[in-house]
Amino acid sequence: MAMLRILHDTKYDFIKYWKAAALGTIGFIVLGMAILGIHAMRHQSALNYSVEFTGGTVIQLTFKQPPGADVVRAAVDQAGFSGAEVAQFGDPVNYMIKVQPKEGVMAAANADSSGSQIAHILEQRLGSANKVTVARAEAVGPRVGSELKTKAITAILISFIVTLVYLAIRFEWRFGVAATIATMHDILTTLAFLAMMRLEISLTVVAAILTVIGYSLNDTIIIFDRVRENLRKQRKESLRDVLNRSINETLPRSVLTHATVLAATLALLMFAGEVIRPFSWIMAFGVFTGTFSSIYVAGAILLWIEHKWPRTPESESKGTSRALAEGRRRERPAPVTTR
Amino acid sequence: MPLKYRILTIVALCLVSVWALFPRNVTSREIGADRLMHDVTSRRVPLRQGLDLKGGTYLALEVNDSAQKIPADKKADAIDRALKTVRSRIEGFGVSESVVQKQGNDRIVVQIPGIQDPERARKLVESQAFLQFKIADKTQALERALPRLDQVIKQRGLTPANDTTAKAAATANKGLQGLLNTDTTKKSDSAKKAGAGVKKDSAAKKDSAAAADSLKIQPGGAFSSLIEQGGMPGEFYVETTKIPTLDRYLADSAVKAAMPPGKDFLPGSDSASLQGKWYRTYYLVDNKEIATGEHLINAQPNQNTLDGTVVEFTMDNIGGRRFRSETGKHIGDYMAIILDNRVMGRPPVIQGAIGTRGQITMGGKSLADAQDLALVLRAGALPVPLRVAEVHSIGPSLGQDSIDKGLRAAIISVALVVVIMLVYYRFSGMLAVGGLVLYMLYTLAALAGFDAVLTLPGIAGFVLSIGMAVDANVLIFERIREELARGKTVRTSIDEGFRHAMPAIVDSNVSTILTASVLYQFGTGPVKGFAVTLIAGIAASLVTSIFVVRTFYLLWLNRSRGAQTLSI
Repeated sequence: MAMLRILHDTKYDFIKYWKAAALGTIGFIVLGMAILGIHAMRHQSALNYSVEFTGGTVIQLTFKQPPGADVVRAAVDQAGFSGAEVAQFGDPVNYMIKVQPKEGVMAAANADSSGSQIAHILEQRLGSANKVTVARAEAVGPRVGSELKTKAITAILISFIVTLVYLAIRFEWRFGVAATIATMHDILTTLAFLAMMRLEISLTVVAAILTVIGYSLNDTIIIFDRVRENLRKQRKESLRDVLNRSINETLPRSVLTHATVLAATLALLMFAGEVIRPFSWIMAFGVFTGTFSSIYVAGAILLWIEHKWPRTPESESKGTSRALAEGRRRERPAPVTTR
Repeated sequence: MPLKYRILTIVALCLVSVWALFPRNVTSREIGADRLMHDVTSRRVPLRQGLDLKGGTYLALEVNDSAQKIPADKKADAIDRALKTVRSRIEGFGVSESVVQKQGNDRIVVQIPGIQDPERARKLVESQAFLQFKIADKTQALERALPRLDQVIKQRGLTPANDTTAKAAATANKGLQGLLNTDTTKKSDSAKKAGAGVKKDSAAKKDSAAAADSLKIQPGGAFSSLIEQGGMPGEFYVETTKIPTLDRYLADSAVKAAMPPGKDFLPGSDSASLQGKWYRTYYLVDNKEIATGEHLINAQPNQNTLDGTVVEFTMDNIGGRRFRSETGKHIGDYMAIILDNRVMGRPPVIQGAIGTRGQITMGGKSLADAQDLALVLRAGALPVPLRVAEVHSIGPSLGQDSIDKGLRAAIISVALVVVIMLVYYRFSGMLAVGGLVLYMLYTLAALAGFDAVLTLPGIAGFVLSIGMAVDANVLIFERIREELARGKTVRTSIDEGFRHAMPAIVDSNVSTILTASVLYQFGTGPVKGFAVTLIAGIAASLVTSIFVVRTFYLLWLNRSRGAQTLSI
């Protein structure tokens, strides 16, 4: 029976292009950081943090008819929140107003009142024909913000250490280091992407970044697993050839899995609404940066480490083969019954 | 494992999942239009919806150490104990789907879906509910201390917050007295018992313009002009506009030292309006309590015609015995019931030894307030005062919209994944899709089982996991194809394919689970929900791709014995 095959039995020399890939990704990161620098000069902070981080009040208003951004802005100014950010949110009848914390004012107590204050002024301006409702009024203390920031960074650092240890146990330290550096690369490119898209960093976005890390790691491990297996089979081959062969062998799987994940991500991006959009953008980007870093960062770094600290027969027997032997023992096939 | 047991296991898992997800009667107490709680029973799938989907109130609580510094290690311990109290209070609030969690070492996060009254929720958790019973002073200690207090204030050069004449206050005092004396016989009874107080009262009545004089102090003294003699010993009235001045004086250390020793000067819960002015009651009470709310076992709100809204409480036997012997010593005295340093209602006269039962009078407060007070009393006192650090009020309109969009995205992404798998892997793809259906069933059941809260990022995580769930299938199918390409038989290829794909599947999924665990451990509300969905998804995906799809293959192999080709 015929099989539908894509990219079957390919022999692309992926590693050959590592210099171009390195230049490209460094260029991308530098560009992103430059944009961050410009943001940092123009606004107070380099990244566009959500109110969860900066503290302040978020008010979401829903109108019966589209009011026009200038009307909303004028009403917000009149209510005395002149520094506020006014943005249309999804449909033209939804508006999001972000009020930065005022000095000496307890933000929590005022979230609901500032919302109704603004809504009241808008009602006066628009008349009874266009009804305004406050869909959401949230207040966050800025102290909470700094705590959340530290937590996110702690979470990422701890996940690095956990990954490193796990891969060192299951594979070898070289693989762990290469995978961790690839992960750091993913965080940098995602930050650059965030800067370019000027996406707001909220808790959901932090969750998305961490998912990208997990996803990219997944991909790296699938390739490394092949490398581990091929190294055992082909001792004469150079690591570079083994790497190339492993990438080619896992190519159909990579394409198919990325296709399904990308399909789910695009469905989210297009249909899940405004709240989930930043999350979806980052995931969509993550599929690409994850695939890229598995080959050109994790692979290239692994080669470089190999070059600097070549494996000796002993280290090999301690590392890769032990892990493999373990794997063998564990994954003995279940006896098949024929009834 | 024999095929029979494999199938049994899968069927059992399905039955458990269906049972976990079967719509059942979920009873929740919700606050109706009349502000009273009603038990609402609805039949639905027992999946908890998070705040962002259902709307409601979100509170983050911290230890309030503004009054006294609390070391970090003690804070963590205090938060642990406070968590229990807050949880029982919130559960009593009437929302079965509320979430009360510790966050980090110094925070409690409270999520109350469906409740759009952040102020009430806030009061409920912030009130420390420290109940004390103290004896009101009847030795005129404050009156005797007044000259000294006036002098101290003069010496310290303290200025009032605003200027009001003593005279106006004094006339008002007369009015208040009149109001109280027309009240009941109980009042005159109490006045008689108070002895010296009666003289003071009559003196005040005789010479209302110089009411301050009757208190044996120089008229216009800074402190004495603030307070008026109340209707019972140890009771005073302070005009509400003068309260800031009083607070300022009381905050001064010299004034504190000059206050009567062994006594507390506490505000009452009542205020009264007279001649267009508002007065608040203050009480001078012994600072040593005769009992606390520690032994309180039950509290119920009630309304009766005599006292208005009340909370009736019951103490346990130990507390009751102690209460009886203490009140026995104080027959004829006034007993102030103090909640969080505020005297509740007017202190009643102790007629005889009181046992295990008592009541707190709440005057004109609503029954909802009495319900809340009974609730916090039942739940017990907070070990430390808490402060609300964060309040969110989230509209449900956002929620319904988001659910619809999230579900639409989920359906579309499932459809896309199914199409990709069927087109590329044909028959095997069909087996994988069968696995995917079970995957969704297991994941949702696991979420219901873990009592996880479904949030919007959680839904996004679920949708994403559908895309990722087929990864294990893809890995296995590609391996089977490789084995087939090497000319092995169908049965061997399937066995070998599963075996070779295993290390990659295990390593990649374990590393993702580890990352998700870190997220769970260090994340907050919505991120936590996301992590739970992710972990449940990975576990279900491992079960379906490794075990379920394998069983499907074995079934197929048994049916078509000696199959030479495999559609993959």
